Amino acid sequence: MSELSSTTGNLEVPYTPPPATPHLAPREWVRANLFSTPFNSVLTVMSALILATIGRGLLSFLFNPIRQWDATATNLRLLMTQAYPEEQYLRVWVCTAVILILTGLSLAVWRAGSHVPVTKVGRNLLATGAVVALMTLLAPFSASATVQWLVAAAVVAGAGETLRRGVGMRASASGAGGSDESGDQVATISTLTLIAIALGGLVASLWVVPYGHHSYLMDRTPRVLAEPGTVAMTTKLPWTIMLLIVVAATFLGRSMRDRLPTNATRATLLVAWLLAPPTLLYLVLRDPSFDMGHVLGTDLPIFGAYAIGGGLLLSWLTRPTTGEIGRIVAAVVLVVGFCTFLTPMRMIVRIDMLMLASFALAAPTFAGGPRARRRYVTGWLGVLGVSSWLITAINTPSTVDVPGDFFIGGLSLTFIVAVFTIVVSFPLGILLALARTSTMPIFRLLATWFIEFVRGVPLITILIFFSIMVPLFLPRGMELGEVAAVVIGYALFSSAYLAENVRGGLQSVTRGQHEAAEAVGMTTGQKTVFIVLPQALRVSIPPLVGHCIGVFKETSLLAIIGLFDVLYIARVVMPNQTEFMGSTRENVLFVSLIYWIFAYQMSKASMRLERRTGLGER
Amino acid sequence: MTSPTDTSGTQPSDTHAAVSARVPLWRDVVVLKWVTQVFLLVVVLGAMWFLASQAGDNLRARNINTEFDFIERPVDIQLGEGIDTHPDTGGRALWTGMVNTLRLSLAGIIFATALGVVVGLARLSDNWLVRQLGSLWVETLRNIPLLVQMVFYFSILTTLPRVGLDTGPINGWLHISNKGISMPRVFIADGFYQWLVVVLIGAAVGRYVHRRRSRIHDETGADTSPVLWALGTVAAFGVVGLFVHPAFSWLGGVFGAVAGVLDALPLVVPQILLCGVALGVTATWILRFLAAHRSARGHLSLTDDDWFRVLFAAAASLAVVYLMVRWTGLSSWILNSGRDLFEVIEAKFDVDGAARPFDAMRPDIVQKGKFPNYGTNGLTMTLGFAAVFFAVVFYTSAFIGENVRGGILAVPKGQTEAALAVGLTRGQVLRRVVLPQAFRVILPPTGNQYLNLTKNTSLAVAVGFSEIVQVGTTVFNQTGRTLPVVAIWMLFYLSCSLTISVIVNWFNVRMKLVER
Repeated sequence: MSELSSTTGNLEVPYTPPPATPHLAPREWVRANLFSTPFNSVLTVMSALILATIGRGLLSFLFNPIRQWDATATNLRLLMTQAYPEEQYLRVWVCTAVILILTGLSLAVWRAGSHVPVTKVGRNLLATGAVVALMTLLAPFSASATVQWLVAAAVVAGAGETLRRGVGMRASASGAGGSDESGDQVATISTLTLIAIALGGLVASLWVVPYGHHSYLMDRTPRVLAEPGTVAMTTKLPWTIMLLIVVAATFLGRSMRDRLPTNATRATLLVAWLLAPPTLLYLVLRDPSFDMGHVLGTDLPIFGAYAIGGGLLLSWLTRPTTGEIGRIVAAVVLVVGFCTFLTPMRMIVRIDMLMLASFALAAPTFAGGPRARRRYVTGWLGVLGVSSWLITAINTPSTVDVPGDFFIGGLSLTFIVAVFTIVVSFPLGILLALARTSTMPIFRLLATWFIEFVRGVPLITILIFFSIMVPLFLPRGMELGEVAAVVIGYALFSSAYLAENVRGGLQSVTRGQHEAAEAVGMTTGQKTVFIVLPQALRVSIPPLVGHCIGVFKETSLLAIIGLFDVLYIARVVMPNQTEFMGSTRENVLFVSLIYWIFAYQMSKASMRLERRTGLGER
Repeated sequence: MTSPTDTSGTQPSDTHAAVSARVPLWRDVVVLKWVTQVFLLVVVLGAMWFLASQAGDNLRARNINTEFDFIERPVDIQLGEGIDTHPDTGGRALWTGMVNTLRLSLAGIIFATALGVVVGLARLSDNWLVRQLGSLWVETLRNIPLLVQMVFYFSILTTLPRVGLDTGPINGWLHISNKGISMPRVFIADGFYQWLVVVLIGAAVGRYVHRRRSRIHDETGADTSPVLWALGTVAAFGVVGLFVHPAFSWLGGVFGAVAGVLDALPLVVPQILLCGVALGVTATWILRFLAAHRSARGHLSLTDDDWFRVLFAAAASLAVVYLMVRWTGLSSWILNSGRDLFEVIEAKFDVDGAARPFDAMRPDIVQKGKFPNYGTNGLTMTLGFAAVFFAVVFYTSAFIGENVRGGILAVPKGQTEAALAVGLTRGQVLRRVVLPQAFRVILPPTGNQYLNLTKNTSLAVAVGFSEIVQVGTTVFNQTGRTLPVVAIWMLFYLSCSLTISVIVNWFNVRMKLVER
């Protein structure tokens, strides 16, 4: 089942109830699971004590009146985007909206989410209610607060019990005799709907619940304004719109996916995902003020020349009849590309030449009929266009007026660094893995040395090296921002680990696959690109997701080299504000919660993916 | 059939010669391959040369020095803790940092392993509550970045109560305050090394006892418990050694004599020795390699890749020889450090006959200026050390716990059932059947975690614990020698990683040999 559904890319597996386990009465369950032997009883009592101590300690920490939670509430904007100007904040929301639209569409197009039985939801709600009630009893609340929390817990538990009972009764009523065992009649609910309901409740609470109105007034003397009431309009209105947008996008994707060809839609979405980070960062957030005269006079002509000349060249090179002369031409282009470094000229000309050379060298691998050739040339035009535009945008001064070197910080910086690290290190890691498993000894040696060296030293030494030393290694007149330098350091570090993950996948591709590919006359390049890599990458998905989680967690190291990431702000900036002196513990706890939510969700998603595609069971 | 197959799929060299007579040069796979590789090598070297020359220009332009002279020069640095808190030279400061890193890593590895095994077993427990507790531990700690945890623990520790002259949870035994945690300390005293000699003799005897008891067990089938006997022998020697250890004080003279010999040796001796070892090892390897690639009829078939390996090995050994001959400083350094080592050992034996091997002290609190502080008697964890220690131990224990769980789950259920069926108790099943098999699965990823832990201690720079990265940052801020300090960091961590992976691999190979 899993093989078939995963090869068609269909991730939606119909819910099948697990085989019936003998249902135990609560007392028997307790005896079997908690007090089966004297030793077990001792363990149970001890762990209960430990849990109670931890719970009580945490709760009395959280709800102690001397805690400065105002610090977090007031500084949320600082934590998210650092000093991004308030009057330009619409840009941040546009970026969020674009990402959410893509998320919604992708969720629908990839048919993410599964169905869970309503009874299970009810049971979970019941358990949540019970846990909340227990915690309430442990917490150092006043009597009225205790009663309030207990009532809330009872409401949750009651809702859960109603769901469980009500649906259970309906199932037994509709399934006339014995259909309960066959499991066909189980009422289910989509997990996406559940998440939407939960988020909807959260957003609705922004309008209703008096969380408090916090703002940081940046007048001549900054001061904190904390009033009772619901949260500020600048928080609740955008988030409501965001929720509506993502729900609308999901519905749009759902109605779209059956009318459009699946593969083309998915490919388009993937390209959109890939283009989103640079576009949002350099076009929307950074808002470069293009010098139109320069763009029209210099950048466009260079682009046009490479587009036309390169397109014609590649179209000729991908003709299967071209033969060796094509390779020689490609090699000449490569040599010319390197020679451009000997004479002074625009950097973009050199970069484009090198890109054209690599496309030319790879051309025979993608040779084929007119369709394949057209696609290859289109690929070249796309890559060339995006990179030319990016280089122009990066070199154009920003119009967003912010203090400091980089225009955005906080959690946004964390995400930006993580995303760019992964995007850059992915191709690099694959190349390194291929080189390390290659039969060409010099490639293998260089890759092995690089990988083992990088894996042998701590990330922080590499980051310090890159943040301090990179400016020294650049030719005069060339500059690189500190964030960019650090991302390069991160990417090099990450690519070595990624290469090892991919290498595991490469080694799992059986020899028969190689031999079969050679038998049908594929070149080494074709064999690698079309036969080996797809299988290897599919196998390495679980470790790659784990790697992405690792990269996300490692972004916290930005704080050590003094970039304004979320941890640095929480640990250094906020405790130094006069109003919130010494609020480090609260802030860092909040930051851990942020990291935990994202990392935990990613690891859960990876486990689900592993189960669905049957990757874990080889 | 007998000839070993190569991985590249190219043809054996002699038929290849015949074929390449017909194939034009630009279509010959081997030629193309080598042209590509050499081209790439040239590009990489060229890029490195370009960057290095840029860096050289820029450094000269900014008047930045990249010499290692700061190692010998006096510096004005005060370190938080370590073997030398007021180091005379930059080198001494870095050395203190290295020792602190090693101390922290070693303690972290031991405690993380212990805790990790407990966590892994808890996640497999029959007890529902224990299982939930284990999952809570793993899922919480592994999904929060180590640095965030470290900072959090540090900020909690800094809010602990102030140290007073007579405070602490157990006054005189355990003190927990905003200066750190101080507890009684057992330490090795002057007589330790003489005592160690007695224990080593005991270990040799114990090994003999172990062998003998095992043989009796093999021959008669009687329950002779060889391990217990061997450990008992060592313990007996240890106890006796507490009283007789002064008898070995003459060993110091022996070590002194060795030091004298090393001092008197001419530089040529280590040169010849090391060159001989390098050439010998390489020659053996090459001969073995060739023998493995020879078919039963003696036909040698080497691919270009194999040729490269042989030539590379030969070139590497020649490079070692060249280095040893040209760079006499290396051999004199080897001789000098050998002499110093033996002199240090000699000094360890030069003690008063009645010195005790061990001693213990309770923590003390002294008041020198305005505020009381911990004295030097107790085993004191400073705040920085405690924060890093708890962070790496907790964080790594979650990962080791998952390795342990995975390893135990990897042992087929039939093994447990079969062991129970022949009448072993649950404890015996775990100790004699499950764990030995699980260990093989657990070890490689856990070795990786040890590596990670060692590297992760570098994050201590965030809480100001004086390990190598923090000390190095201070040194280069003061002397401006960033590049050399970074190079020393990387060399240090590379050798740590190499050492750990060699040890883990050694265990791995031993484990594999046990398996049939």
